[in-house]
Amino acid sequence: MPIFAIDLSGMDEVFIFTPSQMTNRQLITIVLTLLCLSRASAFPLTTSTHAAEAGTAISETATCSVMTTEAEADTPTSGTAVSITDTTATILRPVFAAYTAEFGSAHLADTYLSPIKYTGWHAGLDYQRYQAMRFDPDRWTMRLHFNLGLDKTDNPARNATMWSIMLNADWGMMRKFRPFTPDLTLAIGGSTGIEAGCLYNPRNGNNPASAKAAWTVNLTGYASWRTKLWRLPVTLTYQPTLPVAGAFFAPDYGELYYEIYLGDHEGLAHAAWWGNYFKLDNQLTADLHLGSTNLRLGYHGAIFSSKVNHVVTNIFTHAFTIGVSGEWISVNPRKEIPTKCRMINALY
Amino acid sequence: MTRLITLLSVFTALAIATLSTSCHKIEEYADDPHGNFEALWTIIDEHYCFLDEKGIDWDAVHATYARRIGPEMTREELFIVCADMLDELKDGHVNLSAPFNTSYYRKWWSDYPQNFSERLIEESYFNFNYRQTGGMKFGILSENIGYIYYPSFSNPIGEGNLDNVLYFLKNTQGLIIDVRDNGGGDLTNVETLVSRFITEPTVVGYISHKTGPGHNDFSEPFEIEYKPAAAGRIRWGKPVIVIANRSTFSAANNFVSVMKLIPGVRVVGATTGGGSGMPYSSELPCGWSVRFSACSMLDAERRSTEFGVEPTEGCAVDMNPLEALSGKDTILEFAINLLQNQ
Repeated sequence: MPIFAIDLSGMDEVFIFTPSQMTNRQLITIVLTLLCLSRASAFPLTTSTHAAEAGTAISETATCSVMTTEAEADTPTSGTAVSITDTTATILRPVFAAYTAEFGSAHLADTYLSPIKYTGWHAGLDYQRYQAMRFDPDRWTMRLHFNLGLDKTDNPARNATMWSIMLNADWGMMRKFRPFTPDLTLAIGGSTGIEAGCLYNPRNGNNPASAKAAWTVNLTGYASWRTKLWRLPVTLTYQPTLPVAGAFFAPDYGELYYEIYLGDHEGLAHAAWWGNYFKLDNQLTADLHLGSTNLRLGYHGAIFSSKVNHVVTNIFTHAFTIGVSGEWISVNPRKEIPTKCRMINALY
Repeated sequence: MTRLITLLSVFTALAIATLSTSCHKIEEYADDPHGNFEALWTIIDEHYCFLDEKGIDWDAVHATYARRIGPEMTREELFIVCADMLDELKDGHVNLSAPFNTSYYRKWWSDYPQNFSERLIEESYFNFNYRQTGGMKFGILSENIGYIYYPSFSNPIGEGNLDNVLYFLKNTQGLIIDVRDNGGGDLTNVETLVSRFITEPTVVGYISHKTGPGHNDFSEPFEIEYKPAAAGRIRWGKPVIVIANRSTFSAANNFVSVMKLIPGVRVVGATTGGGSGMPYSSELPCGWSVRFSACSMLDAERRSTEFGVEPTEGCAVDMNPLEALSGKDTILEFAINLLQNQ
């Protein structure tokens, strides 16, 4: 059941794809190849005589090819387009981006505001951006991550409400491994990020809010497994992030923000370690490769617990996530599209 | 490969270990009479800032009131016991709020003469012809003395309002600021008002908060400094008298303590009601909220004003009810005479 058959004139291979075999990455491969072809057809004269008129890129049209990583080439079911390794090829580092919304439950407690645990709903927006690192793109990848969460919770008596709004932003880089099978990529590395937000209990008079701010250095990583759900290519990814050190803001046990407003800033910053600041962020997602854009479904759970100055804060959220993900490449119209390129996926 | 697997195993083990040990616990109480009582007692025990200053044996209070708690008691009955226990603190800043009632310790003012009638002043001194802006009522008394009545520090004072008020009173020979029955409000309004009567940055008091659950866990008092009103704003340099009564409480109590230490300012009337503890809120498992003093505020000489601010020496005056019947406010008359005879 061939769907796509691309005959690159002047090239030795004919590529045949079926939907079940194609991954998102391969779609990009096709697009890039077609781009090369379209440029070739626009300037059919590819002899050395006309090369000077058409430019360097055009003169190389006959040898235009898109390289893949070695891992991709080794994938038995991947339907690889071209498996040529050429160290002189331009390396393309597509961005893998995911935009998701999350909905679920929240459990809040902050003894600065109340000794009672509140429960309610959680909603949020999440953005992830992966890209292979420039210095060693085959082995290292980087991730930029933003998450904005909003919780609305009630006390057990249902006569008081506690809100929470938190913004997280972190950037990290990870070393990739494929220890067991080419379809499974593991990565481990570090990241650094900030968290800012507050818990708000409007019923309280002089202590209605508990502000949160932290800068942390995190241990992070992911496991990404490319598989199939029946005939649909699916990528399952688990991404944990665990802060290991940093600094965070916390007022004293009975200190009111009015005193901070007056100028008493002593003892507000604290060194963070697992004993006083523990957070574990887990994301488990499935990217369903329906087309050039993936449907992303998953789970996002975050556990946060801190204890400083005898004040305990617990924020637990569990959420179902839904969104889209995909790969994209920026094209600079002032530059020629490289005729020999090798694309390195950020995640795999 | 082996190193990688080891690394991942360590990572996972650390995550699981920390997950199981690092979630800090919060002590929970059952939502029954005993649990709610214990939660309330503990909140006060760990957060209230005047237990030692007032010489309260909170453990003995527990022993006394715990005996009145029974598993079958109704919410109303539980509320009464809890409110009675909180009355032991003798603090106007302490309230227990349930859907059907809010407890309130009233003896800090009910045991004293009121010393104020707003209507008497409006009628006898202004014939109901006075100005009001920014939460203040003001006018010029027949003795050419400016008068401002500020009933609550919860009423926001705008800088523009103050400019207009002080400009209107600029030709008077002195100013009376009446804060009788002023139950407090925002301390930022205190700062706004005081800034018109100081000419340089002035230490007006100190604040100290609890640093832990122990009865004596307090921070070093932090200096509170007010700055004079910005250039271009009207400042008052003529004599000032502040009138207070027992119902002058909380932020108003703080205002009196600050003004009393400014040169050229005298306090006339009765000792204020106190309330120098900054209130803090918490709640019980049944959803009732509780408010109590958590941060102690001291005056510029590091003295507690929780029990009130006394008038300037020789300026303690009570209102004569008989004079009041004839339309005279004894305390206001005293203040007028003081300004006229200085």
